[in-house]
Amino acid sequence: MENIIQITKNDIVNEGKKLLDAGAKFVTAVCNDLDEKLEVTYFFSANRGVDLTCLRYTVGKDEEVPSLTGTTLSTLLIENEMKELFGLKVKDLAIDYGGHLMLAHDSPTTPMLKPKKAEAESKGEI
Amino acid sequence: MALMLPTILRNFFGGPATRMYPVQVREPFENARGHVTFNDDKCFLCGLCATKCPSEAISIDKEKRLLTFYPARCIVCEVCALACPGDAIDMVFKWRAPFYHKPVEVHESRGKRPRTPM
Amino acid sequence: MATRTTVPFGPQHPVLPEPVQLRITYEDEKVVEVVPVIGYGQRGIEKACELNEYNKNIYLCERVCGICSYQHSESVVLATEQLWPLDIPPRTKFLRTIWAEMARTHSHLLWLGLFADAFGYESMFLQFWRIREKVLDILEQTAGHRVIQSVNVVGGVRRDIDEAQKKTVIDTLNVVRRESDDLVNVLINDYTVKSRTVGVGVMTKAQAMALGCVGPTLRGSGVSEDARLTKYSAYGELNYEPIVETAGDCYARMKVRARELFQAIDLQMEALSKLPEGEIAIKVKGGPPANETVARTEAPRGELYYYAKGNGTRHLERMKIRTPTFANLPAVLILLPGCQLADVPVNIHSLDPCISCTER
Ligand code: SF4
Ligand code: SF4
Repeated sequence: MENIIQITKNDIVNEGKKLLDAGAKFVTAVCNDLDEKLEVTYFFSANRGVDLTCLRYTVGKDEEVPSLTGTTLSTLLIENEMKELFGLKVKDLAIDYGGHLMLAHDSPTTPMLKPKKAEAESKGEI
Repeated sequence: MALMLPTILRNFFGGPATRMYPVQVREPFENARGHVTFNDDKCFLCGLCATKCPSEAISIDKEKRLLTFYPARCIVCEVCALACPGDAIDMVFKWRAPFYHKPVEVHESRGKRPRTPM
Repeated sequence: MATRTTVPFGPQHPVLPEPVQLRITYEDEKVVEVVPVIGYGQRGIEKACELNEYNKNIYLCERVCGICSYQHSESVVLATEQLWPLDIPPRTKFLRTIWAEMARTHSHLLWLGLFADAFGYESMFLQFWRIREKVLDILEQTAGHRVIQSVNVVGGVRRDIDEAQKKTVIDTLNVVRRESDDLVNVLINDYTVKSRTVGVGVMTKAQAMALGCVGPTLRGSGVSEDARLTKYSAYGELNYEPIVETAGDCYARMKVRARELFQAIDLQMEALSKLPEGEIAIKVKGGPPANETVARTEAPRGELYYYAKGNGTRHLERMKIRTPTFANLPAVLILLPGCQLADVPVNIHSLDPCISCTER
């Protein structure tokens, strides 16, 4: 994958806004569980959807991150989803579904997180 | 209404689009995938079908020489039929009554491993 | 002052084919506010993709959506192949393109019928579905199944289209084209249809881009954008240019899909005539290497994104699926406020929503 721009979490709003103002379209965001940290990648497409640009930042699991919904409503669903499924602490969401976008009140919490390597080792699963 | 007229006329004079089903049955297409059937004389319990099946519809007990098939889990994907080295799995396109209970088929395999290495 | 009432529209509603709830606030008959609520069909397919072996994912991901199932299987194999990357034979690429366009034909016929039903034209609905049956038949003859084709594997396809089948396909497509021509003519020119759709749910070009819309919803607003322009599979060798309408209302979105229906038939004909000889699959050993990639295909409802990350084993580290409706759903925030209660179904249907695949 080319065009990955590493940024810090506080830059996401500015950098995202810059890309959107230049005529790009928000595509989606992907969250990855890196055991200790979470890696968040925002994808933007430009030039009739052919070129992809990615903005990527890495945060600790208990850090708060800003939301892009203040700039564009297109990130609304995916940021809510990352918040629910990965426990990514997104603040200032335009519409906050409060953890019930995908999950019901009796669903498991943050189901997409992987079992921590250290814990799995101590249980003898690896 | 006037624009719809050609379609109305065609439907009026053309035959019905449906079939009198139990009386008239359409032959299945040659290429279509059907239900999984096992040929117990050919199966030699290599276990390939059970490993490859995406929905875990086949399980194998090598000691008792039994192959257990859960038809209600099968998604008719043809993976097992293509993987089987003994040619023991056929996909048969035939109408089958709906299940009232989830059935379990147990097959006693009697096949011999072919001598030529695969 | 008019009183405000909040009414839940769905998840069980006669016009909705799938479970989505719209919490609509009305002022008399006029919609003033709407909040879409999903989550009635979450199946955890992304998680299951991590637990499955990579070649079992194809059959799972095909079931993300019942109508664009072909594009899902194509995307998942494209994503997995790009992790290596593998070199796919040209005949395979053409075959994949032909089936993809066949799937688009049946999906658009289905949608045109459902849309007619949304404004109460029920006989049109049945006429379109009757034609769709013919397309499903050729899918069954060539790929082995009507809806869940299960024809893609990592490294190739499992079925070939021989000369006899080619002839059947071309003959059937000609009939489909002739019959849909009559019906689409009615939809486009009929006075009643126009009065229900023209000027309803207008979304400007800027709004559509800002909301990240995809597919016919975006092209109906005058943006010429399509994943097929990235020339995946055989689209680079076909004569393809996206279809665009500029009005941005329900009528424009309907027109885009109606014209795409004929374009899909043309693309199939062209691909069939250019079908190169050769292998249809290559052998693949081991698991995908540690790498990450994005596969983008154009499903009937819009652009489909698959993000895959391998880790060198036969299991993937992460698979992310962004379905077209996931991107199109925020559009209801613009389409619905200000419209009449009776236009809500028409507006929702003009997006071609597929909620169960939104939630995966
Ligand atoms: S049916 Fe075929 S693949 Fe399955 S165990 Fe028997 S021989 Fe092996
Ligand atoms: S057809 Fe597919 S699902 Fe059914 S038993 Fe064979 S491999 Fe399993």
